[in-house]
Amino acid sequence: MIKRNIINNVLDAAMSRGGDFAEIFIEDRFNTAISLSSGDIEKSLSGRDFGVGIRIFKGLKSIYVYTNNVEEENLIKLAKEAALGLKKEDVNKKIELMKIEVKNNHIIRKYPASVLSSEKIELMKRAYNKANQYDELIKQVKVNYMDYDKKIMIVNSEGLNKTDRRTRSRIFVTSIAEKDGEMQTGSDSIGAHKGFELYDGEVVDDVAIEASRVAKAMILADKCPSGKMDVVIDNGFGGVIFHEACGHGLEATSVAKGNSVFAGKLGEKVASEIVTAIDDGTLKNEWGSSNIDDEGNPTTKNILIENGILKNYMVDKFNGRRMEMRATGSSRRQSYKYAPTSRMTNTYIANGKSTKEEIIKNTENGLFARKMGGGSVNPMTGEFNFSVMEGYIIKNGKIERPVRGASLIGKGSEVLNRIDMVGNNFKFGQGMCGSISGSIPVNVGQPTIRVKDITVGGVKEAK
Amino acid sequence: MVNMNEIINELLVKSKKFGFDEAEVMIKDDKNFETTVYKGEIDNYSISENFGLSFRGIKNNIMGYSYTEKLDENSVEMLLENAMNNLKNIDSKDQEFLFGNEENLEYVKINQYNEKLNEVSNERKIEILKKMEKTAFEYDKRVKSINYCLFENGETSHRIKNTLGLDLYEKSNLSFCFLNVGVEENGEMQSAHSIFVGNDINFLNEKELAYEAADKAIKLIGAETIESDNYPVIIENKTFASLLQAFSPIFSAEQVQKGTSLLKDKINCKIAASNISIIDNPHMKGKIASASFDAEGVPTKYKEVIKNGVLTTYLHNMKTAYIGNVKPTGNATRGSYKSSIGISPSNFYVENGNVTKDDMISEIEKGLLIVSLEGLHAGLNSVSGDFSLSAKGFLIENGKIIRPVNQITVSGNFLELLKNVKTVGNDLDFTMPSGSSLVGSPSLRVDKLTVSGN
Repeated sequence: MIKRNIINNVLDAAMSRGGDFAEIFIEDRFNTAISLSSGDIEKSLSGRDFGVGIRIFKGLKSIYVYTNNVEEENLIKLAKEAALGLKKEDVNKKIELMKIEVKNNHIIRKYPASVLSSEKIELMKRAYNKANQYDELIKQVKVNYMDYDKKIMIVNSEGLNKTDRRTRSRIFVTSIAEKDGEMQTGSDSIGAHKGFELYDGEVVDDVAIEASRVAKAMILADKCPSGKMDVVIDNGFGGVIFHEACGHGLEATSVAKGNSVFAGKLGEKVASEIVTAIDDGTLKNEWGSSNIDDEGNPTTKNILIENGILKNYMVDKFNGRRMEMRATGSSRRQSYKYAPTSRMTNTYIANGKSTKEEIIKNTENGLFARKMGGGSVNPMTGEFNFSVMEGYIIKNGKIERPVRGASLIGKGSEVLNRIDMVGNNFKFGQGMCGSISGSIPVNVGQPTIRVKDITVGGVKEAK
Repeated sequence: MVNMNEIINELLVKSKKFGFDEAEVMIKDDKNFETTVYKGEIDNYSISENFGLSFRGIKNNIMGYSYTEKLDENSVEMLLENAMNNLKNIDSKDQEFLFGNEENLEYVKINQYNEKLNEVSNERKIEILKKMEKTAFEYDKRVKSINYCLFENGETSHRIKNTLGLDLYEKSNLSFCFLNVGVEENGEMQSAHSIFVGNDINFLNEKELAYEAADKAIKLIGAETIESDNYPVIIENKTFASLLQAFSPIFSAEQVQKGTSLLKDKINCKIAASNISIIDNPHMKGKIASASFDAEGVPTKYKEVIKNGVLTTYLHNMKTAYIGNVKPTGNATRGSYKSSIGISPSNFYVENGNVTKDDMISEIEKGLLIVSLEGLHAGLNSVSGDFSLSAKGFLIENGKIIRPVNQITVSGNFLELLKNVKTVGNDLDFTMPSGSSLVGSPSLRVDKLTVSGN
């Protein structure tokens, strides 16, 4: 990607003012994004991202520079400018790079570049037709398709020299149902660390039908009432509750400076004993997986909470210094435009013993959140909020009627302790997670769970 | 080194041979500096420069786009080929346009570049941060942590040149300061932030930013939920601005024409209370969304989008204006050189009324002052207008603030809310910039919002 002798010279320049660690991250990425609305392809975009990020540490200070002018002179100039942040005398340190081959665990069968755009469009139109024909209440369907293929190279002053390739594909369907002048949306998606083979079989039909099913259910739904309720959250994307309510608070980004309610609680009970939560970046071809993280460490299966006890955080190299903890292969970034930091990969609550039917049957009054929307959290206070895309009122152990517009709020630490039933039907859902190192693909996941006493914000007017 | 003018000309000339009827190149150059201080020491320090070139070309009224961040010997061919391939994928029949160098074109001159900002040394910026952090810690012993104490400044320039004779250039610079303070009492954490945005740091008062964030967080200590009910509510200026920003897509003609906006068929209809006027003003001095031309090169203009409660116009780019049979409003935007043309507001705000926030508070017997809304990207439906959002604020009784409130949601419908505004404050302020928009509002009083708590 860039000649070896140039890389060596840039690393030398980065270390020239007494830094104790330097790293170069090079990225070359090809993107495709196509969108369809009302049956017609409306947007088709493609292009190439290319750039270099240089990171220098000295103790607890981190310096980052990036550019896409990769001529040697400019890179050395920038590396020196970055090193100026350190204000130290010139030192000369020679770095020997060792080429380390990264074993590829994520086999790609159909690289995006080998697939004609007409095939991608055919897939999108198939999804459109399925979603559109689902019901006459469906008045609009949007289909978004994206793929990218990126190669990265990471070298650092410890001699690390690795390359990796990440290929990701995703299709996203949004259906809008209309009735009596009102509109409701439903959406579903599938994504993986895969090429076009992701769509082998009839998987895209399922996505399309699911989007329309939700839109239809919600246009026929009443407005959700408000109040404290027991909430049953279904498997798959329901895992966003753990992601928002707890996951962000377990990232070293928050923990290192004590800005998380989970800081200093390793070994303590932070959740009900039926909760085990894991972040696993190694899973084959999953949306949030990669061979190595964005500072070159192999990804790991990281048990965060085991039977309610806090076992580990997600730690990157820099925050690891402050925390005196080893990196967990969790350091990620959207692109060379971001310094990497600890982030989630595929994060989930592991299977428990109950069946979904048992959980609903045992709930006298409550809300069944069959499909979750997005959410956010304030890691400092642990307060989270997220929206319920598809909800149902549970009465006397039975699903009674659909309700729309609900949101759930609470505090992460409290919710973890109030999980009182965990199902055995684990599933993943795909999302994009935005935080300080940009927007990155993550899986969220869980079996069906029940949480006692959550504040449900409904849109139904109080009497 | 690559000669940019040569590349632009080569692309435009070759585009015709490649089969495009007309073509355009947009070039964007950014430079940025950012640093954070933690416990009196620099902890992050970042410098960046970023370049992007976008090409788009029209053939038979259809537009194809491509972009690159890397220029090498294959770039010109790759850009033309990708754009043509993308163009062939399109089956929307909507007519696309490039903006030509029309006669008597008038662009309002906007100066968004302050040379003096470049003279501010990095040492000075770091000093500001250290002082700001120290001031916040010293403000009150309950201030326990500061997770962001950040200064950022950057400059950006973009150039648009096309085969219709348009050749425009604009540059701007900006600084941004952000402080997030965490306070603790008896194990209870609260946090609040303050920001400065502008390109003249003489207006930056680091001590006041520290006081503001610390004070806001401390006032929230002891917050509890309240009884679920309908309450009269005052939504504070920046907080309402963030809600308006989240709902701003409903003003886009593109959403209207696709049938996914609540404002479909509402031109000249009363959609808000008579005391509500909403302005889109791209010519405000010192505001970051000001510009003399939009992403298509169309001159920007001032407009009252809602006048005394009546919707007067949608926001248009060239394509939607043609479909709607109106003139473009200069609201074309591009998220970046990677994206195609969309629509967004510029400096977009509810016009001031004449009541102070304190007077509004004194008129409420029992109600709420809302000072923050969370989950704006998830807890609202811009298609239906329904929202249900996590909120923080203060309980008002007999015209006085009694105590802080949290762990509640407020819900309603955005259009209903606009119709139910009873009083408009006189304290217009702007929320954090988002994309190329800056949204503002004074504090507003609404007679009834559904609050969910206990």
